[in-house]
Amino acid sequence: MRTILCITGVALATTFVIAVGATTMRYTTVIKEMNVLFSGQIMVVSKDTIVIQAIPITRGSFPESLADEIKGNIKEVDEAVPVLFITSINFENVLQPVPPNFTLGIPVEQWRMMLGSTPLRGNVGRFPINESSNEVVIGPSLADQYDWTVGTRINVTDYELEIVGILDTRLALLNRCVVMPLKLAQKIYNYPNSANVITVKPLQGYSQKNLTESIENQIPYVSALTEDERNDMVQPILAQVETWNLGIQTVVFIMSLILVMTVTLMSVSERRRDFATLDAIGAPLSHVFRLVILETSLIGFLGGALGIFSGSLAALVLASLYTSIPLAQFFPSIFEIVPPLYMLEIFAAIVVVCCVGGVVPAINAMRMRIAEVLRAEY
Amino acid sequence: MKIRIADLTRIYRLGSSEITAVDKASLEIDEAKFMAIVGPSGSGKSTLLNLVGLNDYPTSGKIFIDDADVSLLSSGERRKIRLFRMGFVFQTFNLLPTLNALENVELSMALAGKPRREQREKALRLLEAVGLSDRLFHRPKELSIGEMQRVAIARALANDPEMIIADEPTGELDSKTAKEIIALLLGINRREKTTVVMATHDEKIVDAADTIYTIQDGKLKPKV
Repeated sequence: MRTILCITGVALATTFVIAVGATTMRYTTVIKEMNVLFSGQIMVVSKDTIVIQAIPITRGSFPESLADEIKGNIKEVDEAVPVLFITSINFENVLQPVPPNFTLGIPVEQWRMMLGSTPLRGNVGRFPINESSNEVVIGPSLADQYDWTVGTRINVTDYELEIVGILDTRLALLNRCVVMPLKLAQKIYNYPNSANVITVKPLQGYSQKNLTESIENQIPYVSALTEDERNDMVQPILAQVETWNLGIQTVVFIMSLILVMTVTLMSVSERRRDFATLDAIGAPLSHVFRLVILETSLIGFLGGALGIFSGSLAALVLASLYTSIPLAQFFPSIFEIVPPLYMLEIFAAIVVVCCVGGVVPAINAMRMRIAEVLRAEY
Repeated sequence: MKIRIADLTRIYRLGSSEITAVDKASLEIDEAKFMAIVGPSGSGKSTLLNLVGLNDYPTSGKIFIDDADVSLLSSGERRKIRLFRMGFVFQTFNLLPTLNALENVELSMALAGKPRREQREKALRLLEAVGLSDRLFHRPKELSIGEMQRVAIARALANDPEMIIADEPTGELDSKTAKEIIALLLGINRREKTTVVMATHDEKIVDAADTIYTIQDGKLKPKV
C-alpha cells in the first residue's frame, strides 16, 4: 500500500510538472512564433501601445493613409502595409482567458507580404481578390472546430462573410486566424479608414534601427519597433516564465526525491532482517545496492509513466479551458502541446530523481549486519 | 575446513557500560566434525557463531581458517568466504518472504554467479533431498516452520559449503520436527563430510555431536 501511495505521489508530481511545463512552453512558443509572421519588418504602432512581439494588445489606431505617408516621405522604406489586428471574435459568447482567435485585416494586394507562401489546405479555394468583398480566409483549427469548409457562410458582428479558403499552417497564430481584406475589417470592427499596425519593410541594405529612428522623428505619435526590439521586450518575460517553470519543476522533483527516500528508508528499515540475511550469506554489497536502486527506479518508471499520461491529459484540458476550444480538437495535436522530447526529458528526470532518492536507503541496506539485527531483536 | 579461534573476545558497548558477550574463547573445529555449542539464552552462543561465521569482528583474539588468520580480513574477503565456503542456518530461518522455496535456494547460487540452469537443477535436487519437492513454489508464509527450516538448510547447502553454521536451528520447532532437523544436519555431516557447528540451548538434542562445548556468560568450555 505504501509503495502504491509512493508511486501515486511520483505520478502526481510528474503530472504537475508535465501539465504546468507543457502549458507554459506552449504559450511561450506561441509568443515566439508571433514574430515569424513579421520577420525582417518594422512594426509601427500608436505611441504607448503595448505590443507582445508583433501583436498590439491595447487599442490605438491611426489613419490607414499613414502607410503611404511613411513610404512616400522616408526613402529607406521599400514597402509599408496598413494592418488591422483584432484579438478575439467571440463566436459563442463564452468567457475566454486567452484569445481563441484573431482577425487580420490586410489590403488584398499585400496578401503575400503578410502571409508569405502559406498555402491553402488541399489547394482548394483562393485568397480574397476584391477589397470590398465579404470574403475571408480562415485558419485550419477554426475550420476544424466549427466544421467550416470553403463556401461556408459565417456571421461576425452581423456581417455575413464567405469562407473562400482555409490556410494550411501549423503556426498557432494563423491556425486561429480570420484573414480578411482591410476594408472589410475596418467596416466590421468600426475602424473607418484606420489601421492599428503598419508593417514596414526596409530597402535592402538599410538597417532597421536607423529606419525606426527616422519614422519616430517624422511621426511623433507612433512607435516603431524592430524585430530585435520586439524580441527584447518580450524576452525578459519569457525568461522569467521559464525560470519560474524550472523553479517549480525543481521543487516538485525535490519533493518527489524526499518522498521516495522516506518511503524507501521505511521499507528498508522494515526489511532489515532480509538485507542482513543477504549480507550473512555473502551477497556482494553492490548486489544489495542495486536491489534497492532497482526498487526505487521501478517506482520512478511506473510513477513517471502514469504521470506523463495524466499530465498530458491535464495539459490538453488546460489548453481547452484557457481557449474554450473543445478538448477533442486538441487530441490529434497532443504531441505538439506536449512534445515527445519533453515527455522523455521529464520521464528520464523522474527516474533519475527516484534512483537518487534510493541512494541513502541503499547505503542503509548495505550496512545491515546479521549480528546487529539479531541482537536488536532478542 | 578447519577453524581455530584463540582468546576470542567480543565486547559490546552500550552507552557507558560494557557487556562481554564472548570472553577469551578458544576452540578448534576439525574438518567433517559435528560440533555443538550449548548454553542458555544470552550466554553468548550467537555472538560466538557470528564471530566464527565471519559475520562480526572480534574485540580481541584471532580466528584462523585452515591456519590462515582471517580476523582482520576486509569485509569483501569475509563475504567471499561466507558465500563460497560456509552455509548458514538461523533460528528464525531468515528466508526472503518475497521469494518461493525454490528461489530462496537459488539465491545463494545466483549470488555466487552460477549459471541459471545449474541453479535450478541443484535447487530442485536439494529441496527434494530435504523432502520438499512438493512445496517448491510456496512462499515462506505458506510453509510450516519445519518446512521453512528445511528450505533454510537447502539454501545453506546450495554452494557446497565446507562448513554449516547453525544458530539454534531447532529453537522455534516442536520436539518431533527438531529431531528431524537434527537428523538432517547429521546426515549431511556424515554423508557430505561437511563440518557442522550448531548452537543450541537444548542439551537433549546434542547427543549426536562429535564435540560439545558449553558456554556460560561468554566463557567457553569443552564438555567433558
